[in-house]
Amino acid sequence: MSAAIELDKVRFSWSSQVPIIDIDHWRVDCGDTLLLRGASGSGKSTLLSLLAGINKPQRGEICLLGSDITRLSARQRDKFRADHIGYIFQQFNLLPYLSAHENVLLGVHFSALRRQRLTQSATQTATDYLSRLGLSKQQQQQPAAVLSVGQQQRVAAARALIGAPEILIADEPTSALDTEHRDVFIKLLLELSQANNTTVVFVTHDATLAGHFNTHTELSQLNPLPQTASAGGSNV
Amino acid sequence: MFKLALKSLLNRKTSVILTVVAIAVSVALLLAVERVKEQVQQNFANTVSGTDLIIGPRSSQTQLLLASIFHIGSMTNAMSWDSYENIAGRDEVDWAVPISLGDSVQGLPVVATTEGYVKHYRYADKQTLNVIQGRWFADNEQAVLGAEAAKTLGLAVGDQLTIAHGSGGLSFSEHDQHPIAVVGVLARTGTPVDQAVFVSLETIETVHGIEPGSAEHADNHQHEGHEHPAESITAALLGLKVKPLALRLQREINTYEKEPLTALMPGMTLQQLWKTLNVFEQTLNGMSAIVVFIGLIGMLTILLASLRERRREMAVLRAVGAGPLTLFSLLVTEAVLVTLFATFAGLALLYTLQWSLMDFIHSQTGILFSLNLPTPAEWWRMGLVVIAGFLLSLIPAWRAYRQSLSDGLTVKV
Repeated sequence: MSAAIELDKVRFSWSSQVPIIDIDHWRVDCGDTLLLRGASGSGKSTLLSLLAGINKPQRGEICLLGSDITRLSARQRDKFRADHIGYIFQQFNLLPYLSAHENVLLGVHFSALRRQRLTQSATQTATDYLSRLGLSKQQQQQPAAVLSVGQQQRVAAARALIGAPEILIADEPTSALDTEHRDVFIKLLLELSQANNTTVVFVTHDATLAGHFNTHTELSQLNPLPQTASAGGSNV
Repeated sequence: MFKLALKSLLNRKTSVILTVVAIAVSVALLLAVERVKEQVQQNFANTVSGTDLIIGPRSSQTQLLLASIFHIGSMTNAMSWDSYENIAGRDEVDWAVPISLGDSVQGLPVVATTEGYVKHYRYADKQTLNVIQGRWFADNEQAVLGAEAAKTLGLAVGDQLTIAHGSGGLSFSEHDQHPIAVVGVLARTGTPVDQAVFVSLETIETVHGIEPGSAEHADNHQHEGHEHPAESITAALLGLKVKPLALRLQREINTYEKEPLTALMPGMTLQQLWKTLNVFEQTLNGMSAIVVFIGLIGMLTILLASLRERRREMAVLRAVGAGPLTLFSLLVTEAVLVTLFATFAGLALLYTLQWSLMDFIHSQTGILFSLNLPTPAEWWRMGLVVIAGFLLSLIPAWRAYRQSLSDGLTVKV
């Protein structure tokens, strides 16, 4: 099976000399669903910004779908992200002045490739996705700002998955949801991902979610930095 | 991108509308200054037309023009009737109208002249003076009022007035013993004619206690057999048979040997006079430019203030693949949209104001503000506003660019 994500000897530090990411090797297979657990301060956000191509490591290779994105220019990395990566934030995923439906369309706005992959019109696809995620036609046309947090996260999932990107990165998308909504949300997210054969990297601090995913990785083992423990992160 | 910018602006309606209003008002002001200047200049140049030369005693051209046409200031010297007749009788002169100034009615200038004035005086686009009430004076002790003068004095045809010596408002030497009857009122022209009181040359002589056509020159054979309406006059308007001869005649009159005289071509002297009023125009321009600048600074302020609350929005856009440059151009697009929209709103505001005030201004001042399409100068001004808006938008755009680079996908607010 080919690798969706493969990191090799990646080292990254902010302006200070102390590295915040130091990963010797990490591989995620295509189509895998992975729970990456890490406490805050363990370099989680930094790792995600490297995967998304926002930042570039000082050393090492980050191969996504077989291409080393550290060799791409900032502009090319933006393009790569638009084409191949869906991203869900913890909260505030949506542009408040667009409707839920328009927010979903934003997912293919910057990528011709993702538009090409659609089997029907982008408008129709967005409607289908949102309907499957339980938003009524009326809710879909409402400004994103009036939706509940749970609904907003579902809109975000639809946006991240429209146009079938190969990789989905979800950064604690359920932390603002209660237990019941959380489980429903994860189920729906994984269903949609599997239909597209999308590789899922689901980041959380909550180990109890592990049952939903094929693989469970501890960030503290992947990125064993001395300051992780001192920064207050607990090691399980 | 355009749609995104538009929706983002609509989302912040209140502050955006206020900004648009501020810029629109300032643009309207900027254009209004230009328009008023154009019209006033036009009106100024329109004060007198169809007159080829104005002649009078030796003085500066500006002084002679101001006195003879605008009734401002006074001439210290006079021009003799002999010289006037001499010049008026030349072959190339088509018509000549003598003017005698220096008296007033309750501060309004009295213009003593002949019937030739109403016949030959032209303003604006060769428009004639129209007597809307009564008729032009035909005899002594009769007066015709300009439109504004009739209103100020509260007189109509059939009323009487008395003339005071000197141009001041209050004069002790009122010629009470000579009541003068109002026989006509002129239509409004928007020129100094409106403020004036017109009487015959003989009337003024009588008022001053001189018998018209009398005395001193009676022994002069040249004048035997015809009436001599005045001893001397202040100025005269000349119309020539062949217009291009004006320059030659002007030179000849300026070097007239029997008496020191001045001749001027009204169009040229009006232009020179207008140029001296430049400072006033530049001050107005400067002030309206500052108002526009303040409007644009307002826009800059709301764009900069919104950046903070829009950091998440920027992160979302970056997550779906927008580069920092895209965010940069998003902000520039927003600012240019605001200034473009505001500029056209300002133009619309200007036309609305002009349209609704047109009649009022015309009746009050006689100035007609015609509803023309924007002139090249006005397009140029509007273009400058949009360019200024664009340039100012580079500041928040640059900040958004920097911010999105440092924030990436993680916004810590």
